[in-house]
Amino acid sequence: MTKFIAIRLLQFPLILAIIYLVTFLLAWVAPGSPFELSDRSLDPLAKQRLEREFHADSAVSFLAYYPLKILTQGDFGPSLVQKGWSVNKILFTAVPISVTLGMLALAIALAGGVAIGTLAAVKRGGVFDALSLSIGLVGVSLPSFVVAGLLLVVFCVFFKWFPIGGWGTLGHMVLPSVALSLLPMAYIARLTRVSMLDTLGADYVRTARAKGSSRQTVIWKHCLRNAFLPVLSYLGPAAAATLTGSFVVEKVFNIPGLGQHLVNSVLNRDQTMILATVMIYSVFLLAFNLLVDVAYAWVDPRIDVTAKV
Amino acid sequence: MVLSLGLKPLPRFFESNSPVLKMLAIPAVLLLILVGSALWSGGGVEQRADLTYINRGDVNTLDLNRMSWAQDIRLAYALWEGLYTLDPQTLEPVPGSALPVEISEDKCTYTFRVRPDAKWSNGDPLTVDGFIATWRRQLEYPDEYAGLFHCIAGAKAYQEAFNSADLNVRSTADWSAVGIIKIDARTLRVQLLYPTAYFLSLTAFPSFFPSHEASMEAFKELDPATGRARYDESYTHPPNLVTNGPYLLKEWRFKQKVRVVANPHYWNAASVGLKVIDQIACEDPLAMFLMYQSGAVDWLMQVDSGIAAELLARKDPDLHVFSGFGTYFYSINCQPTFSDGTPNPLADVKVRQALAMSLDKRPVVETVTRTGEATQDTYIPPTIFKDYPSPGGLSLDRDRARQLLAEAGFPGGKGLPRLTLIFNTGSHHGDVAQIASRQWKQELGIEIELQGMELARFRERLNKKEYMIARASWNGDYNDPSTFTDKYRSTSAGNDAGWISKPYDDLLDAAFKEPDAAKRLQILANAEGILNREAPIIPVYGYTTAFLIRPTLKNIPLHPQSLFLYHSIRVESGSKQ
Repeated sequence: MTKFIAIRLLQFPLILAIIYLVTFLLAWVAPGSPFELSDRSLDPLAKQRLEREFHADSAVSFLAYYPLKILTQGDFGPSLVQKGWSVNKILFTAVPISVTLGMLALAIALAGGVAIGTLAAVKRGGVFDALSLSIGLVGVSLPSFVVAGLLLVVFCVFFKWFPIGGWGTLGHMVLPSVALSLLPMAYIARLTRVSMLDTLGADYVRTARAKGSSRQTVIWKHCLRNAFLPVLSYLGPAAAATLTGSFVVEKVFNIPGLGQHLVNSVLNRDQTMILATVMIYSVFLLAFNLLVDVAYAWVDPRIDVTAKV
Repeated sequence: MVLSLGLKPLPRFFESNSPVLKMLAIPAVLLLILVGSALWSGGGVEQRADLTYINRGDVNTLDLNRMSWAQDIRLAYALWEGLYTLDPQTLEPVPGSALPVEISEDKCTYTFRVRPDAKWSNGDPLTVDGFIATWRRQLEYPDEYAGLFHCIAGAKAYQEAFNSADLNVRSTADWSAVGIIKIDARTLRVQLLYPTAYFLSLTAFPSFFPSHEASMEAFKELDPATGRARYDESYTHPPNLVTNGPYLLKEWRFKQKVRVVANPHYWNAASVGLKVIDQIACEDPLAMFLMYQSGAVDWLMQVDSGIAAELLARKDPDLHVFSGFGTYFYSINCQPTFSDGTPNPLADVKVRQALAMSLDKRPVVETVTRTGEATQDTYIPPTIFKDYPSPGGLSLDRDRARQLLAEAGFPGGKGLPRLTLIFNTGSHHGDVAQIASRQWKQELGIEIELQGMELARFRERLNKKEYMIARASWNGDYNDPSTFTDKYRSTSAGNDAGWISKPYDDLLDAAFKEPDAAKRLQILANAEGILNREAPIIPVYGYTTAFLIRPTLKNIPLHPQSLFLYHSIRVESGSKQ
């Protein structure tokens, strides 16, 4: 297992380098310039001077300067558009906010999804099952800006329970995380339901019940542990996705997280910012996928991730 | 597994066979990360400021040399003060950090004396070095507003020499040849090329504000290869930023809020009414509006046009709509050929005039924008400059338009290639374009294809003149018509229509040299008249600005430039919510 983890960790730099290069090329060929976004056009000489100053005048000068800076100083460079801030400073403010929001959303999604899915499986065919399926469908189909907008209007404007937008207190965190959690919650509920149905029908469950174990013990101690694996493998990419923030939820609730930087940097052609946000997302994704693989073996000792056919 | 990694702590937990405990570990870890990041991302409630407003998104930059966005410029007026400043109600230039200026007989020499009691926010006395520092830096590292300095003798030559790629030319750049002379610590003499009536307005513009060099020194980086300096912009973040205006920068949380507090060292500190002002960053128009409705903010400086139209119809007392400082128009490619080499029929002035005279602009302001805009036939909004004799333009005359089109050789629109109109998606431009193209098809028989695209792509095509007709707009920067007319000089980088007119250029040059203010405005009006008649652009309407202001806020001028001096604003005590 140690060897497995070590090999995976060694692959990280290569994967990240490839991602960096591909992202850079795609962003580079996109038409438009980060220095000419307003209705004022820059004098061509001034534009050249700016590009030279930011090492953005040619692909070679960009690649010669910035990757080295990242590797040696951990500095992603200045933002080409947010002129008052370096990328590192921006990320330093945005990442903890998105991580908090994402973790909260994931926690709600996990707790809610597992509970709903288990109950639906146990009371299969009943009212709750049908209800959970339809709510799940709604959760997956409704666009997030509709859900976010609805929550905003109902709970902030009508009931006035929460502040309208922004970030800082616990009150600010509730509604956005609920809005962000609905999609993963729906998925997790479905996954849990299906795999619980599988395990509920297994022989050892009937044996346990026959032995006299209570329903509670059987469900929570025996079944859930086995049924949890598909949810666990979904958790990896889900965590990476929710942690990097949702652009729509952040926009509606006016939260200064990472999601808006992911989108705005592309729209603004902010090369350094695009690369930094994509790198962060990639690191999260790789790290969480590795964690999930390791957790697999830990939750179910029968699984051997290192096995070769 | 854990043992093989060599971890010994909590062995009993990890060896335990209880699956429930193991399962709980996952949410427990998540909870830990959650609490950790919640603490790290900052929380806590602060005291509400005297004035909280939304100025649209976050501040872009507080570097005086790079500042160009309207929201940055507004904040600059709170933090700094120029030699001259703006009168809080009329926005005319009045003495600021300098005493009333001495102007020579020929109106080309200005002698400024800095107030003896003027200080920086860290207590240092304000000297002319601060002003020279900004002005020199703008010429050495020119940004968008470097052109404003070219009325000063020797400035343009210095800028070009210093920035030349040729090392020999660069070594000839001589600062002492520029008409910015330090007489002593508090006296500055400026030598202009020609009498420039609006020079005092320029000294009240952020590009002319002073910089505190001593505090910036620590953030200076010299590129060893070229010898050019760069400033790490953290010098603009609190607590590093030293300013000389009525407020100082207390806090700047990126994309969240900016807080400024009254500057105790400001020479006129007694006149500052509001002590703490917060600017909240918010981009979503609906969220902004809801924050105003809920009482979280006192003033919205930007109201989405859909919401504004609705409020206007309801006659909401908090909504204030007033004339803006710019024009919405269509830019027409006037070059002899298109970028692909095919001949350009729009290069013929008669075709452009036909398009201009057949467009009824009223449906646009009545059905699309609906926030009190006035249709325009002139490039410059006729009422925004005092004493400016607006020349008038091409008015609606469809018969004449059809005649002109026939005279150009395209009767009934026959023979014209398929024309395209480009615009950026995400606003109402598509709706306006549909109205225009429908009219041109009906009245002139011209087929126009509409192409919407995202902003960066649109901007690139406009700048490179890779278009036939494009949606465009222009907002003035300072209180003089030249902020509009300079754009269409044949040599200007902003002339994205590619329109070249020697009579127009000549008139602008004459205006530059004209000492009499009234005559100068007339010359500029004549130049604008040429532009309006030759129609490289088709003006559609003049922008309006909409503010939502709580009735307890007083002294906010509703001036087309939508600038204000924060220190003159007062809050009526009582209902502050």
